[in-house]
Amino acid sequence: MKNKISFFVTFIMLVTGWAKEVLPNNIPLDTCVQVILQKDVARIKEVANYIVANDDVAIYPLISAIIDKRLYSYNDRAVTKFPGDSLYYSVYPVLKSVDLSGLKIKEVKLARSVRNQFNSLVKKVNLIHPNPSIREMSFRSFKTGSSLSDIAFLESIIKNEKNKDVLLAAEEAIYSIWLSSGDVALQNKALTEIEKEVNVYMLESLTEYVKSTTNIGGKERAENIIDDIKSREKTINIIQNLFSGISLGSVLLLVALGLSIIYGLGGVINMSHGEFVMIGAYTAFSIQQFFIAFLPESLFDFFFWVSLPFSFIVSGLFGLLVEKLVIRFLYNRPLESLLGTWGVSLILIQLARTIFGDVTAVKSPEILSGGINVAAGLILPFNRLFIIGLTVVMVLLTYFMFFKSKLGLKIRAVTQNRNMSASLGVSVKRIDSLTFFLGSGLAGVAGCAMTLIGNVVPNMGQTYIVDSFLVVVVGGVGKLIGTIISAMGIGVLSKVFEFFYEAVYGKVILLLIIFFFLQYKPKGLFSDKGRHSDD
Amino acid sequence: MFKNNIYIIFILLFGLIFPIGYFTGLIPINTLTLWGRYFCLAIAALGVDLIWGYTGILSMTQALFFCMGAYGMGMYMTLSNLPKGQLLPSFMIWNQVEELPFFWVPFDNFSYALVLSILVPGVFAGILGYFIFRKRIKGVYFAIITQAIALAMFLLFSRNETMLGGTNGLTDFKFFLGFDLRDNAVKFGLYALSLISLGLIYWYCHNLVNSKFGKSLVAIRDSESRMRFTKYKVAHYNVAIFMIGAMVAAVGGMLYMPQTGIITPGRMDVQASIEMIIWVALGGRGRLKGAVIGTLVLNLMYSVFTTLLPSSWLYILGGLFVVTVLYLPKGVVGLVDQIKEKLNGMFAKTA
Repeated sequence: MKNKISFFVTFIMLVTGWAKEVLPNNIPLDTCVQVILQKDVARIKEVANYIVANDDVAIYPLISAIIDKRLYSYNDRAVTKFPGDSLYYSVYPVLKSVDLSGLKIKEVKLARSVRNQFNSLVKKVNLIHPNPSIREMSFRSFKTGSSLSDIAFLESIIKNEKNKDVLLAAEEAIYSIWLSSGDVALQNKALTEIEKEVNVYMLESLTEYVKSTTNIGGKERAENIIDDIKSREKTINIIQNLFSGISLGSVLLLVALGLSIIYGLGGVINMSHGEFVMIGAYTAFSIQQFFIAFLPESLFDFFFWVSLPFSFIVSGLFGLLVEKLVIRFLYNRPLESLLGTWGVSLILIQLARTIFGDVTAVKSPEILSGGINVAAGLILPFNRLFIIGLTVVMVLLTYFMFFKSKLGLKIRAVTQNRNMSASLGVSVKRIDSLTFFLGSGLAGVAGCAMTLIGNVVPNMGQTYIVDSFLVVVVGGVGKLIGTIISAMGIGVLSKVFEFFYEAVYGKVILLLIIFFFLQYKPKGLFSDKGRHSDD
Repeated sequence: MFKNNIYIIFILLFGLIFPIGYFTGLIPINTLTLWGRYFCLAIAALGVDLIWGYTGILSMTQALFFCMGAYGMGMYMTLSNLPKGQLLPSFMIWNQVEELPFFWVPFDNFSYALVLSILVPGVFAGILGYFIFRKRIKGVYFAIITQAIALAMFLLFSRNETMLGGTNGLTDFKFFLGFDLRDNAVKFGLYALSLISLGLIYWYCHNLVNSKFGKSLVAIRDSESRMRFTKYKVAHYNVAIFMIGAMVAAVGGMLYMPQTGIITPGRMDVQASIEMIIWVALGGRGRLKGAVIGTLVLNLMYSVFTTLLPSSWLYILGGLFVVTVLYLPKGVVGLVDQIKEKLNGMFAKTA
């Protein structure tokens, strides 16, 4: 073995020495790879210069491996490994997997200065990067500052490309190069291609083309496409805002649902409701930590699905506890309950801060990362879609519980007339506790869902509590349908106003609108008809 | 027994013992300034008591009105503290503002500033109250709407574009009416001014709640519809007391400003208003004494606990909220009265 290596080294020294003395632009790439695996920095630098000057596609996998620091060697063969893949791949002459189980593999460490030598090639090398989004980005980077000579190269690379998004980016790059080439025939060809399938990412290149071209017909065509793109962008923006509005509305709805039911039932303003959201989020966090500590990594993604029901139960139990300790005494004393539960919320926040510290985050499960690419530039993230879906399910469950079950019947009876229900044999206290459990549980689920879109902090419930109360008030207390409509309305409107004005002013405008809406309908959208005595 | 011994204790302690202690060097001036600040908060709490304790309207904007008064005074102090040659406050220069915004101009003059600091919150409360009470929005709905208003105003005050100093607020003052604020005599003067103001406003509120107007307020609290049926314009009473409460709070804020030397939007958020309510609730709702005692006790506790056990304060405050609501419906003052009655009963029996 040792013999073999020393033989190899002498061989390489001979070859490279020979190369250095005679013709540096004729080193076989095979030799280059071998040099890089050795430790002679001076030689490596020389070879690197040669590789950069020579710029051969066949060597790109090697460069990519060097730049990303994932070059390994065994028995003088250069191999690499891609993130998230346990197999090794040989880098030259072709990139293919090799079975190296049981062999001793060394990491090849190269100095920063060597890696930097390849900087000029990064743009090109990234075209074959294992990560499709990096490939996509590097194709896009060819849109500016490239010439017609690059096209053949790009085309040679996309022959093996299978990813749709990357292919699209490659097309963009080629059309952009055509547009900026100055060749009228190619420009027209590009315009025809772009007209076939309008792509929002072409906006810049087209604008550039309109500015520089003297061809009136082409200019007009390009301007038409630009108008088309702009109107599409507007639509996309509106859809995106509507979508984030709906997802904000669903979060508000999940929070407000419990709030509204509880207020309708017992006349209790529960200011600590937001803290049940926080408890739900911390439950998800704790379960995540439990999975990390005690269960194999392969099961990690399940933690979120486990924490959903747990959040419901834990928050519900906390709600039950608070009901038994404090709120039980405050039924039908809304203002006192507001103050008392505010105190409860202070205690719960400080408790969370003492136990968990200030900022913690929950990792989204793999399946919910990314999103649906509805159209170019319009991505609907899975986590938000999931929240909307979850809300729909929870609202449906609440609906059935409310209107189709015996428990719901009793809850509605107590909501309408507490004393009458009691005298008809409804166990009012049990209904109170159960409702509180369900309402707090719903908030807990909301908290668990919120970990997908934000950090977990002790006072996270406070952010939503004022808005949730507005939802309840606008919708009409204790009205399921009113709560749904007003949550969606407030969610969508606040996102729309945020889009047109700045976030703060959007919020102020929304509050003013609600203020004047309540002038017109003081009891909310769906209030009980008829007269009620106040005193 | 003296019927009014609590007043005598109060006057003796703060009007006599504290100044004597200060002049003999036993009590440091900073303690006096601290109490001076508590007096200002107590003035605001008197406003809460008028609105909530006597009329039964739970308003979440009291801290906002307090801050409006403080900001008014702060604007005057900012302008009068400008270094020679500088025409604009520094934060405006950083934001590339060329000219003093129109609403800052009158605050250059002390008497205008004095009047406006009280009038602006009053008018704001009047408009707000008119719209809300006109539609008979009350109780929880009123609390939630005012909570939203407080949030909106907090957001507006926190912005740089509204030219009120953003989240940093107004600060960095050296002089007040030409007096050096670091001077102990000036500090003592402000303490005395706060104490006297508290006394005067207390006297005013006392007369108010014992007048026919005050009795009507209590009647509204206890049965609004009966008042309405007997042809009282309930909304007018509500708007009036809401405005009075706002202006009282503004006075507190104006006095608070030179003593703390800083005002930020953080003082006007929902939590600040709710805390003011709990001062009154703990002291004794519907009792002017209660508002003052509750404010002084809770703020003293705040100072003590945040220095001794910083992390425990929220537990204590939260616990006080719960205990007050559950077990002390009439606050400490009510509790003392109850105990007194019991004792009197016992003495009467034994005698």
